Amino acid sequence: MNNITVQTSLIDIEDGATAIIISITGGKMITKRLADLGLKSGTQIKVIRRTWFSGPVQIEVCGSRLVLGRGLASKIIVESK
Amino acid sequence: MNDEKKINIVLAGQGNAGKSAVFNYLTGLHQHIGNWAGKTIEKREGTLFFDGYTIDVLDLPGIYSLTTYSVEEVIAREYIIHQHPDFVINIIDSTNLERNLIFTLQLLELECPVIIALNMIDLAKKKGITIDFQKLQSLLNAPVVPTIASHGSGLTDIINKVIELKGKKSHHSIPKFGKEIENCISQLSLLLHDINLQNPERLVAIKLLEKDNDTIKSVQGKNPEILEKAKQLCENLEEIHGHDSSVVIADERSHLASQITREIIKITPHRKLSLNERLDAITTHKLTGYLVMILILGGMFLTVFSFGNWLSGWFDTIFKDWHSWWNNNIGITFFAALGWSAIESVLALVQIALPYILPFYIILYLLEDWGYISRISFLMDNLMHKMGIHGKGCISFIIGFGCNVPGCLSCRIMESKRERFITAVLVTLVPCSAVSVIVFGLVGKYVGLVWALGLYLLAMIVIFIAGKISSRFLLGEPVELIMPMPDYKTPQLKTIIYQTWDALKEFIYIAAPIVVISGVIIQAINLAGWMPAISSFLSPVTVTWLGLPAITGILLIFGILRKELILVMLAAYLGTANFSDVLSSQQMITLAVVSMFYIPCVATISVLWKEYGWKKAMAICILEILFALLLAGIVKRILDFVF
Repeated sequence: MNNITVQTSLIDIEDGATAIIISITGGKMITKRLADLGLKSGTQIKVIRRTWFSGPVQIEVCGSRLVLGRGLASKIIVESK
Repeated sequence: MNDEKKINIVLAGQGNAGKSAVFNYLTGLHQHIGNWAGKTIEKREGTLFFDGYTIDVLDLPGIYSLTTYSVEEVIAREYIIHQHPDFVINIIDSTNLERNLIFTLQLLELECPVIIALNMIDLAKKKGITIDFQKLQSLLNAPVVPTIASHGSGLTDIINKVIELKGKKSHHSIPKFGKEIENCISQLSLLLHDINLQNPERLVAIKLLEKDNDTIKSVQGKNPEILEKAKQLCENLEEIHGHDSSVVIADERSHLASQITREIIKITPHRKLSLNERLDAITTHKLTGYLVMILILGGMFLTVFSFGNWLSGWFDTIFKDWHSWWNNNIGITFFAALGWSAIESVLALVQIALPYILPFYIILYLLEDWGYISRISFLMDNLMHKMGIHGKGCISFIIGFGCNVPGCLSCRIMESKRERFITAVLVTLVPCSAVSVIVFGLVGKYVGLVWALGLYLLAMIVIFIAGKISSRFLLGEPVELIMPMPDYKTPQLKTIIYQTWDALKEFIYIAAPIVVISGVIIQAINLAGWMPAISSFLSPVTVTWLGLPAITGILLIFGILRKELILVMLAAYLGTANFSDVLSSQQMITLAVVSMFYIPCVATISVLWKEYGWKKAMAICILEILFALLLAGIVKRILDFVF
């Protein structure tokens, strides 16, 4: 298999998988807020787990864990490996 | 006092970094908790006497950033910029170094003297993280002290550092951004040099690139040409990066933080899953997570209510004879009776605060300090979103089950005004321990436990629907959940005691005056002999519409003071505690439904008033009265078929 990289939204990443942020499609407030938490394009994140039915996503970024609401997570475009 | 011996320091840091532990350790019992002027945000101040020095300590709100998203962030920034504290102690969570450093960089930009407390260094070690703090010190050009605040270790070193550095001019050489941004900053700084500014040039330059409104206004008055230059630089940046220039700066800061982190940190990953990770996996799992949550919360309520009933019964036997003692010694006059009702209100407050609210808070803060509360927010976010709020609102609901007063106060953790208000309204519908006394003491005991639990289910449904409706009618975008997930850690008894004490004090301050005053007023109406007139005035509602005895009109008025009075006074008026003699099952259920929803108690109303203004507080009361009467009337008519 080739190493195909696919760009998807953060919510489509499987539990336990790692991805790199490509862009954030939200407004500037939300983009800044995420940058203040260490989430910016180029950041590597690991999806720890999601909950059932459009619940939030728990991720690991720079060694610490964060919970992001579903709507917010859907605005983070990532490249999975 | 000699000015040289007086120092003021502020504590700043992100949530969960251990700020409260540092504050409590430093100030002990010399604390004062108030509000920021004109804001409902808590201001914690304290004093430390050390080595002949008087050190005033101010605990800034826990925030994630100093750029202005929330009221807390504005308060923190304004305070540091305008009040010029001698030192800002930046408390950093060593296990989350990179994220915390972003905040540190923002603090350093303010060019105030910063001392860094590298907190929870023991937990970092456990996670296999080694931090070269000497190097961090030279990179940030600020003193770095490793600490374990929960044990108090390292905190004396910080204070020694404060005393050592006091009066010495700190020279500012802060970590630099990339060349491109630095170039923009120096171009602007050069221009700003000529105008007289209150803030450091570099800070103003950065703020101009971030398009900060306040900064733009202050420069506008002095030299509008600089704004032209800033605009041009911003446009340049935007063209290159494809983002708003404020985002470019935030990104840059974040990059700088990761760069620093890479240089000073060494991680030896554990091959085995740590206990924390395993515990986290179970408690946030799709299936076991919810199971554990039900067990923990169920256990919590069971413990609180069984302990509460026991202690409150014990108080009953203690206070039993006080009334007759009062009558015998003070006499039975109009004013003596009023005096008694004031005392009775205080006793009643003791009887709800100590048996129910105190243990409730202890367990709640135990769970919070352990790290579990965030897991509940994670699991419940989904459901909460359907009500227009996010997962953190669930915490206020849980508190509301104990007492609506602290429940409404805790809505402050919600980020936006709209979220705060919706959460508070929904909390007033949560059956508190006083309502539970009615539900279980009346319906649970005489009609059946299933019916009592059914009423709880009804409350949940009502809250859910009310949430749906209010989120539709109150305009505004729902705020998304962004919440750090803390690691589990051993709860610290000291922290729990301090938090419980703070919360209990706030409850007493807010509730006590209102409860006593309204207790006396209602008693005065009673003594004036107006009660029968009121109950017959209300009888079209109570008797005709709800099918209850006319006396319930008076009970419902007293119930505004404290809901459980409905039951207590029912027994007193009827001369029997065996309610099944005087009320049918159907009447008991109807009365319980009205009691659950008809109005928040006075203490809760006073919180709503204080936090959201009297108009909104009154609107909630009126809406809830109408709703409760409507619902109870419908329930009564449905029950006509059942019984």
